[in-house]
Amino acid sequence: MKKLSGIALGILTAMGGFVDIGDIVANAETGARFRLSLAWAVVLGVGGIVVYAEMAGRVAAISHRPVFDLVRERLGARMGLANLFASFFITLLTLIAEVAGIALALELVTDVSYLLWLPLTALLVWLVIWRMRFEAMERLFGLMGLVLIAIAVGVWRLDPDWGNLLGSATRPLVPAGEGHPTYLYYAVALFGAAMTPYEVFFFSSGGVEERWTRRDLAISRANVFVGFPLGGLLSLALMASTAIVFAPRGIQVSHLSQAALPTALALGKVGLALVIVGFFAATFGAALETALSAGYTVSQYFGWQWGKLVAPRDASRFHLLVLGSIAASVLVGLTAVDPIKVTEYSIVLSAAALPLTYFPILVVANDRDYMGDAVNSKLGNVFAFGYLVLIVVASLAALPLMIATRAGA
Amino acid sequence: MAGRMLLAGFALLDRQIVDRDGRMAGKVDDLELAEPDGGGAPYVTGLVSGRGALARRIGGRLGRAAAWLSARLEASGEQPGPIPFGVVRELGNHIEITLTREDLDSFELERRLRDGVVAKIPGARHAPE
Repeated sequence: MKKLSGIALGILTAMGGFVDIGDIVANAETGARFRLSLAWAVVLGVGGIVVYAEMAGRVAAISHRPVFDLVRERLGARMGLANLFASFFITLLTLIAEVAGIALALELVTDVSYLLWLPLTALLVWLVIWRMRFEAMERLFGLMGLVLIAIAVGVWRLDPDWGNLLGSATRPLVPAGEGHPTYLYYAVALFGAAMTPYEVFFFSSGGVEERWTRRDLAISRANVFVGFPLGGLLSLALMASTAIVFAPRGIQVSHLSQAALPTALALGKVGLALVIVGFFAATFGAALETALSAGYTVSQYFGWQWGKLVAPRDASRFHLLVLGSIAASVLVGLTAVDPIKVTEYSIVLSAAALPLTYFPILVVANDRDYMGDAVNSKLGNVFAFGYLVLIVVASLAALPLMIATRAGA
Repeated sequence: MAGRMLLAGFALLDRQIVDRDGRMAGKVDDLELAEPDGGGAPYVTGLVSGRGALARRIGGRLGRAAAWLSARLEASGEQPGPIPFGVVRELGNHIEITLTREDLDSFELERRLRDGVVAKIPGARHAPE
């Protein structure tokens, strides 16, 4: 019974914690511009993160090794270092976007500019990492994120023409006035947002931090197979909500407040409040994950002590990396770069870098030296290799599409 | 451990070193080899970790720049010695040694950052509860 409630709690945490600023921006924007004709890219992306997070979780539980530890061992010192530069840069970019996202959510409540909220926001993120227990931290923000269910309730209350709406998802067409490259660019962005690399850095390091063993595989799999797809449904609900409200009026989404508007229309002030709390929880949780991931990647490459299981003074370099990354993200944020643009770049660059993260996971998940009899099954490998092809295609297409469409303009 | 045949590049290089308290103590960045007097296959006498060893191994312009940086950050006067192979307790996923990480030359930077910065921040002494 206790185990069952643990699994349920894990699923809810994974569901609420799935969405981050990249998902919010990408889904709200594409809903308004393309209705549900890009929903397939979200479904594909969620499938990809499910397949690869399951492997990363299994590797963590069996070999007690997080992803970046293995990157260096498998790719070698030189390739691993190049990978580290790319992964760290993208994680930092994502952190900038998440921290700005928290501040934007606070701006929506208070009408005080997000620029003023940035320093306080960063301090809070750092304090939580510095003093809160890993599991408590993950639970708190994951469960708080569940209020985003209000978006799905809002979609239902808006009482859309369901046949028409679902038709745009099941028979995807490039809408009139949009070019094929733009359509594909946003498909890659949605795919990248669902599979952002920090998610597996964090998931696998978290498994090691929570001392997963073979017995915890059930929990890991429940999180991944049930929690992540449910979280993906929240992303799709957001896409549907902007598709219903903005698409018919030809309005494009360029600010976080617009992503909350459909739910406010449907559910009034309560709906607005819930969505803002949900945005806050989603971005705050993701800021914690990305800040920690910045520390995880570098420490795991160099073999330094990392993690929250030991006193901070016993993982000095790790904690300074986390602190430095948070500080850097505030400084960049304070230059008043457009947070939405930073988010878009972070997810498209994530898409371009996907193979760097996912290929080593696939190699190790098939290695009996690390995994014993817990290597990938034949069927698992069919999915994993299928996705590897997709990941490589998305990664090769990301930058040319970005240039050709001038970032989706 | 004497006389065991291993693919050193595979089973040793780039592996995580864990000290006797279970703390992470760097990676195997390079190996020290010796040749037997009577000729024959060289054998591993020590593990080199930190202190610019990785930068020297990677080489090139980037490696030289990193080696210079690491020398500036970690200089302590004497040339760092490798970890003698005799202190290796177990070779597996990790490489366990019988020393603590504080005994290693590669701990210098961590020690300085700990004593100079991190330990001074309130709450640094205990893991979060």
